[in-house]
Amino acid sequence: MQPISCILILKFNQMKDVIIKEHIFNHSIDQVWKAISIGEEISNWFIPADFKAEKGYHYTFNSKGEDCSVITGEVKEASPYTLIYSWIVKDAPAETIVKWVLTPTSENTTKLYLEHSGISNYSGETAVAMFTSFDGGWNNCITKLTEYLMVNIHAG
Amino acid sequence: MQDKITKVLKAIADPTRREIFHVLVVAATALPITQVADQFSISRQGITKHLKTLEKADLIIISSKGRERYCYANAKSLEVVTQWMKFYEKFWDTKLDNLDNYLNSKS
Repeated sequence: MQPISCILILKFNQMKDVIIKEHIFNHSIDQVWKAISIGEEISNWFIPADFKAEKGYHYTFNSKGEDCSVITGEVKEASPYTLIYSWIVKDAPAETIVKWVLTPTSENTTKLYLEHSGISNYSGETAVAMFTSFDGGWNNCITKLTEYLMVNIHAG
Repeated sequence: MQDKITKVLKAIADPTRREIFHVLVVAATALPITQVADQFSISRQGITKHLKTLEKADLIIISSKGRERYCYANAKSLEVVTQWMKFYEKFWDTKLDNLDNYLNSKS
């Protein structure tokens, strides 16, 4: 009983509404900003994107829908160096929010604060749709994309 | 399975139920319902209602022993809820690694 409960406490405490990632890049804030806010750049490392960092722009990630799901959303804020957009996975009709904030830490190093929130908005039928979407190609999607990027980086 | 996920999400959506559940998790043993109720300022009926919702979601198990009813936390049910978190934790880790590699390859 005891060990299981310990795991459970951990899980329960982690069951907050937010995923937070922080990362330091050895690049200038403008380089990082371009990489996360310009469609062509995003397509190079993240997901093939039709994206513009303009408030109200309806973006599409992975519009071809090959192997993995299409993601759409609306840009809520795009002012250097904060980028916020909604995140809607196709066939899982619920909305979460992705927020990127860049701050210069020293000359040519930049701190990224990434926040993905709103999971608790899922409820009822929507939650079901969201969870069943995991049975789709999402994991393949990530693996394939990573392979693709690795090949391209080494080729380039 | 789908029905179960809905029940779990509904059960943990309420802050009082989360607290009740937390009490049972921390106790790490079966607690009499009266003892659970003592820790909250809401009515015994209110507690019983919350416990039933948690039971329906399989988050807790209620059993009778003599005249007293006991409840305890059931670990497995939370897994469906943590799936989302696990998935996107991995997703963003992978993506940020990609971004790092990408920026390094450009300079």
